[in-house]
Amino acid sequence: MNAYIIGGYRSPIGKSGKGAFRFVRPDDLGEQVIRKLLSDFPQLDKERIEDVIVGNATPEAEQGLNIGRMVSLMGLDTDKVPGMTVNRYCASGLETIAIASAKIHAGLADCILAGGIETMSPIPFGGWRIVPNARIAKANPDWYWGMGLTAEAVAKDFSISRDEQDAFALESHQRAAAAIDAGRFSPGIAPITVNEVYLDENEKRQESTHVVDTDEGVRRDSTLEGLARLKPVFAQSGSVTAGNSSQTSDGAAFVLVVSERMLKELNVEPIARLASYHVSGLEPRIMGVGPIHAVPKALEKAGIKTQNLGAIELNEAFASQSVAVVKELGLDPALVNPNGGAIALGHPLGCTGAKLTVQMMHELKSRQANFGMVTMCVGTGQGAAGVFEFLNA
Amino acid sequence: MSKPVIPFHKIKRAAVLGSGVMGSRIACHLAQTGCEVLLLDLPPAEGPRNSIADGHLKSAIKSNPSPLYSKHFAQRITTGNFDDDLAQIANCDWIIEVVVERLDIKQQLFERVEQFRTAGTLITSNTSGIPLVQLSKGRSEDFQAHFCGTHFFNPPRYLPLLEIIPGPKTKPEVLAFVEAYGERILGKQVVVCKDTPAFIANRVGVFAIQALFHTVDEMGLSVEAVDKLTGPAMGRPKSATFRTCDVVGLDTLVHVAKGVATNCPDDERAEVFQTPGFVKHLVDNNLLGSKSGAGFYKKVKNDHGKSEILALDLKTLEYRPKVKAKFATLDMAKAVENLDQRTKLLFNGQDEAGTFYRRIFADVFAYVANRIPEIADEPYRIDDALRAGFGWELGAFESWDAIGFEDGLKAIADRGLAVPAWIETFKDQGEGTFYRNINGVRQCWDPRTCAYEAVGGQEGRLSLAWLPDSATVWSNSGTTIQDLGDGILNVAFHTKMNSIGAEVLEGVNKAIDLAESGDLWRGVVISNEGAQFSAGANVGMIFMMAVEQEYEELNYAIQMFQNTVMRLRYSGIPVIVAPHQLALGGGCEMCLHADKVIAHAETYMGLVEFGVGLIPGGGGTKEFVLRLNDEMHDGDMRINRLRDRFLTIGQAKVATSAHEAFELGYLREGIDEVVVNRRDQLARAKRAAIELSEAGYTQPLRRKDITVAGQEGLGIVYVGAHSMKSGNYISEHDQLISEKLGYVMCGGDLSTRTAVSEQYLLDLEREAFVSLCMQRKSLERMQSLIQKGKILRN
Repeated sequence: MNAYIIGGYRSPIGKSGKGAFRFVRPDDLGEQVIRKLLSDFPQLDKERIEDVIVGNATPEAEQGLNIGRMVSLMGLDTDKVPGMTVNRYCASGLETIAIASAKIHAGLADCILAGGIETMSPIPFGGWRIVPNARIAKANPDWYWGMGLTAEAVAKDFSISRDEQDAFALESHQRAAAAIDAGRFSPGIAPITVNEVYLDENEKRQESTHVVDTDEGVRRDSTLEGLARLKPVFAQSGSVTAGNSSQTSDGAAFVLVVSERMLKELNVEPIARLASYHVSGLEPRIMGVGPIHAVPKALEKAGIKTQNLGAIELNEAFASQSVAVVKELGLDPALVNPNGGAIALGHPLGCTGAKLTVQMMHELKSRQANFGMVTMCVGTGQGAAGVFEFLNA
Repeated sequence: MSKPVIPFHKIKRAAVLGSGVMGSRIACHLAQTGCEVLLLDLPPAEGPRNSIADGHLKSAIKSNPSPLYSKHFAQRITTGNFDDDLAQIANCDWIIEVVVERLDIKQQLFERVEQFRTAGTLITSNTSGIPLVQLSKGRSEDFQAHFCGTHFFNPPRYLPLLEIIPGPKTKPEVLAFVEAYGERILGKQVVVCKDTPAFIANRVGVFAIQALFHTVDEMGLSVEAVDKLTGPAMGRPKSATFRTCDVVGLDTLVHVAKGVATNCPDDERAEVFQTPGFVKHLVDNNLLGSKSGAGFYKKVKNDHGKSEILALDLKTLEYRPKVKAKFATLDMAKAVENLDQRTKLLFNGQDEAGTFYRRIFADVFAYVANRIPEIADEPYRIDDALRAGFGWELGAFESWDAIGFEDGLKAIADRGLAVPAWIETFKDQGEGTFYRNINGVRQCWDPRTCAYEAVGGQEGRLSLAWLPDSATVWSNSGTTIQDLGDGILNVAFHTKMNSIGAEVLEGVNKAIDLAESGDLWRGVVISNEGAQFSAGANVGMIFMMAVEQEYEELNYAIQMFQNTVMRLRYSGIPVIVAPHQLALGGGCEMCLHADKVIAHAETYMGLVEFGVGLIPGGGGTKEFVLRLNDEMHDGDMRINRLRDRFLTIGQAKVATSAHEAFELGYLREGIDEVVVNRRDQLARAKRAAIELSEAGYTQPLRRKDITVAGQEGLGIVYVGAHSMKSGNYISEHDQLISEKLGYVMCGGDLSTRTAVSEQYLLDLEREAFVSLCMQRKSLERMQSLIQKGKILRN
């Protein structure tokens, strides 16, 4: 039985640490996106939802305690729907859509909420307590490398120059700014209400509420000269800078996946379906080029070629790996991240896969294309790619 | 000294009026010694009202060396402007004026201050030369009674001199309070001056520089030669003469000199204050020193893109590459550690250098002799001002004592200069030296009484230098044990840079033996009066043993070091360590094992062994693990604290003050203490030993309950070291040392968290230390430090 996506939203993406969602809890963020998504389907009895699957790359602290189950309780006004948390690092939000589709395909379910949540503001990268296996750390320390070092390794192995990286980063900002100005993200964004309790200068308790509906990360005044001035942050005399790396962010995104039976019951048209999904493994040292391995397999499974793709969302973990992937796979740069990517818009790890899926569906619609792809590199040496067929043409 | 009428604690809030280089830095020093500070300046023509004071404060805090012991003290400073916030001075207990040196501007400000100042509030001026008589004019009786000069020297945190100048109507008890507050709370060397032009330090100090200029002219010496002759060789700062002028700014120097020339027409050496030709050339061409990019020296980029320092040729007035100066007298002096002896040797030199020294000393000796009683009644006040204000290790009269009175007198006569009558009296009635020590009290000749009188500022203080020979209980080539009285022994190091080798360990053990075994003593203080507390273990000795591959001896030597520091804590008597300036490596490890540290605020502690390719092996690593253990609370994330402690050693972090040493974990909150005035330190350390003893000190139990992380921590050590290496931040050898350090700090590769003893950790630490001594690259690092004084990163 086929599985269909019938709707999806994402929150605006906030800058971690100092952005709009710096004190918004991840579960609160997820709840608001889910409520917005379900408000489009008043005919759906929420108890008919059979699972809430949440991707998250750092499931601890505010994101711990099985955040999947928590947002189900918080967002659905019923205790009848279960929830789970899935971690495939930066592919988590895409992995959940694949799991939902597969369960439905296998006849195990008819209706699943799938997506991802990540607030990087309250939790340090990698979590609060990093405890590598001492034996492995001695033998294969690069399995535990920080992502920045892998980006440097990719730049070196694939000869991606600093200039290429900076130029790619600038393009990302320019495309993102244009997309925001043209309102291209608006239909897919669930505005988030932020409630802030704070002390004024006289230490008096104050409360305020405001709505956030726009991505924060874009630097409109970014220039090549400015980017070139930045110092490498992961290696001395390296080429990877804060300017040509993705931003750490806060965000949440969900899609609703249903069976054919459910389509009829709800009397809705499908938007898209996940045609194929593949995850590859490779040397953790150069995890950034994971898509080079995953994309051909995913395309093959979907039975299409690169030329059939109308839009590609390639997560810009780093410019070095993005450029390497585009080059190696021979992708059309114009089709890759037409509205900018994570360097400009942010990369809320476990949320990213679902966020990019939402963006891609809207892009396919405006281009009236048949196929689109979401792909990303994944920490510890993995690459993921999902091919979507657009059905609402 | 009359009894202060205002107790110290009454100064809770101070207002600093004027936020320039001096104002902002004085504000910082007041803040870090316990005041809340209101820092005011003019409002700008446009923009935020406090932007001038804010900007100055911000740049002061950022400047290097920092005016603050620790950045957090800045929170005690609030800013404002004269137009909106002057009323707030009504709530201040001390108002200091630090605006531009112009009488009319200062007078206008004081007039406004009078509108708001609460009667009875201390009000002082940081003027460097305007007579207090003029500043007091037109002020109310109450203002004048509570008014005096408080002249700080730049930078106020580091230069200890504080000149206090009474006005015509200053109440004696107000003056006494400021003097005591300056000494005890601000940690200054206070010199009470008379209200004469440029007061004491600048009058004599600027004379010395000007006179030297003329001698240089006479003898045709080069800039580099003079800086070599007038630097550390004669106990003066490294920047010597011309470099100091560049740092201070030639315009400032000329301004002060001209001021003296104008205001002291009767000065017998008035002509010396005239600007010499080469200085005039520099000032006319706006070559004022560091601030204008060039002065006597000029930093340029050479053809290879490297910076090079050029020197001014005083004859051609052109810049040219530096020429190395060489003098036989200086070569001979190099071997003489003792400054008194060295000064005598320099003075008697048979070459051009000797002539130079005789002339400049003669000028200064005659000048200071003739300034009494004009600027001070007692000779020691002039010496105090020169030492504290210009960084001279010996004051003028002290140098004269070192050279010999008659020889000094002869040099003065040879130079055609005259001495005043009191010198003739002293010649007849004195003992041949201006200073003498009698029963632990330092005395100085007083021309008024024609007798030796106690030098001021000794009450309640101790100095090893003042102790009589009979106080020495034991000594060897590297240490001296002295009886401080009241049952407390002091062990002082006097090796080169006070490095710690076998002789020092012997001395420390001996002092503890003496105190533990008999009934004469009950506590030990480890302190010394050298330039540094200790630059660390004797690297030369470790290097020799390592090169000779005498690993067993090396192991034994390190064990001896460990056992000695462990005795500091685990003995029957309290041991206080009182460090100042550098306390590095082994010197830091001594402090880490004290029952209590009484540190001077200007103490720079650090476990810096990484620099010579080693890890702390004298208990330093062990102690960091122990402290890490003790600072953990149930549920805390051990691994993150482990990382912090690891990085402190791994990055060889040196605290830039005793306060920062607390933040880095070298000192312990609630146990160790900071003393602001170096001259209060020994007495405080002795008192601390007595207090611990009287509180019923018993030997602590050796620890066996130190939890180590084992493999739980080891993984991140390996990943971190490998990542740093991969990012080219550290070398392969650094990676190896890091892994060894991490291994010790995790207590080895134990499967699970385990409680271990101190000895277990000491053994691990020693093993790692000795194994690193077998590494060629570690030996290269040691060799670099020993031979070139440089840290090699290989």
